[in-house]
Amino acid sequence: MNALTQSQFLEISEQADQQVISLRDDWTFDHVSDLEDALHGFGPAGASSVQFRCGGLQNIDIAGAWVLHKRALELRAEGIPTDFAGFKAAHFKFLDHIAETGFKPDDTESGNGRREAVADRIRRLGRATTHWVSDLGAIGQAILDGVRSPGVLGVKETVRQLQLVGLNAVPIVALICFLIGLVTAYQGALQLTQFGATTFVVDLVAISVLREMGVIMAAIMVAGRSGSAFAASLGSMNLNQETDALRVMGLNPNRILIAPRVVALVIALPLLTIVADIAGLAGGWVLCVTTLDMSTPLFLSRLQGAADLSTFFVGLVKAPVFALLIGAVGTLRGMQVQSSSEELGRMTTVAVVQSIFLVVLADGVFTIIFARLGL
Amino acid sequence: MSESVIEVRELVNEFGKQRVHDRLNLSVRHGEVLGIVGGSGTGKSVLLRSILGLHKFTSGNITVLGRPIEYHSSAGRRCWGVLFQSGALLSGLTVLQNVELPMAVQSDMPRDMRRELALLKIRMTGLPLAAADKYPSELSGGMIKRAGLARALAREPKILFLDEPTAGLDPISATEFDQLVRYLQRSLDLTVVMITHDVDSLFGVCDRIAVLVDRAVTVGTPDEIVASEHPWIREYFTGPRAPRARHSSN
Repeated sequence: MNALTQSQFLEISEQADQQVISLRDDWTFDHVSDLEDALHGFGPAGASSVQFRCGGLQNIDIAGAWVLHKRALELRAEGIPTDFAGFKAAHFKFLDHIAETGFKPDDTESGNGRREAVADRIRRLGRATTHWVSDLGAIGQAILDGVRSPGVLGVKETVRQLQLVGLNAVPIVALICFLIGLVTAYQGALQLTQFGATTFVVDLVAISVLREMGVIMAAIMVAGRSGSAFAASLGSMNLNQETDALRVMGLNPNRILIAPRVVALVIALPLLTIVADIAGLAGGWVLCVTTLDMSTPLFLSRLQGAADLSTFFVGLVKAPVFALLIGAVGTLRGMQVQSSSEELGRMTTVAVVQSIFLVVLADGVFTIIFARLGL
Repeated sequence: MSESVIEVRELVNEFGKQRVHDRLNLSVRHGEVLGIVGGSGTGKSVLLRSILGLHKFTSGNITVLGRPIEYHSSAGRRCWGVLFQSGALLSGLTVLQNVELPMAVQSDMPRDMRRELALLKIRMTGLPLAAADKYPSELSGGMIKRAGLARALAREPKILFLDEPTAGLDPISATEFDQLVRYLQRSLDLTVVMITHDVDSLFGVCDRIAVLVDRAVTVGTPDEIVASEHPWIREYFTGPRAPRARHSSN
């Protein structure tokens, strides 16, 4: 018997035409890749049979036994008989267990083929599209029902949502629009003073804030605050089967959960827009008075000249439409969460991104319409 | 073969003024299946979470495999697997990915190898291989438990913790699951600690039963426990909901 190779985990020797592999150390999960390398680092070298011996084997677990089992199967497939000798009963437990499961390496090839995977994807996409359309219809229906006959529950929830999406958003919306007014005035002043047209800064601020910036900033803030909150809360209610609970109580979750949120948003966003407009003009006023040496009466008279009530309403009329878009997207995405917490996160993101995109898109459409109407 | 793998000494757990465990002692022997029972609020879960290092206990000592629980680092090699009550499979991953996850600590393992071992574990728990590519939301309750068990076994644990493994399963699946646990325990040389309310599991699988009463623990073989004079234990095993237990103790 002469030793041919030895490593940390095994020692190979030959007896007549039998190759003897003595295992040593720990054949465990921690060393599994080293074990495989060690076993595959040599061939049977013309031996007519291979024997695995316990040798100095300390511990073995399923992972180690699997590596051994797989090698034995490979050798048998090449027509070389293998046997195991000197193992303790405890070691055999693992080898026997693997043999009992009947699991083979080629079993890993099972599962869906590529074509099947593509077909599955297309099917899912189709299903998602039909769901999307029907969900959109359900939300429209829910909003209409909710408005027509709100019920006690609906009114209470609407008031609560009004506080959450409206009142609580006032400070941040006001702050943002104040800063926007300030920045617009400052940037305008830099350009317009070159032409001695400093007083037109007021026109710039008034028109941009009242027509566009006020309502847009309010809508974006609300999309970020409330659109995401709608999607996340409805989504987790879906995951917790809370919506199912409502359904079996004979209550329509769409009506109880969606209508109050969307209605609250449609009421709150115009009000927030008014706040935003005031804050934006205040920002412009602060800059004009402090850095452009403009007097307050002059600012106010320029403001009257630049913007009338129609300018204000052109901005305000967009708010309910934006609110509807944000509310519908947020609640729709929330209701689409069906299976996993990962989906919940994804849908919340999608809700925010899509509602902001739709708000900007709708704003473009409004601009075209107003231009046609000559407003 | 009866050295103890888990030693709980003088464990005290307090929540505010409420003392859940008062100098609780428990030792789990190598190779046994220990069932933990107790009424609601007796701190079964707190005990399990303390042993797992998920809950900071008020005072006492817990050693697992001769090592104080504080020194079992989360990053280091953990020698146990846990099946949570609801499975706790990560919902965004497939069954296969869930089982591969704990193996990822072994970063130099080839992908094929990891996949093979994960599928082997899935197969060992009696799941069809077709289930490997499914997401947890597509599985039945029994399959989720099996997938959770496969994940618990992924890193070759020496100790397996099961939190109400048969809760929510029908009696047939529950019995199958019990047999699976017993079979794996024997063939993989595991020590199993399970919280259960299933009287059939207690008598079918457990070598010893630990009953949490009076803020401490009473341990014994199923027969000893049934013969206990303690009023709560008597009620538990002879009450109207335990017909099978009464039968098997006769």
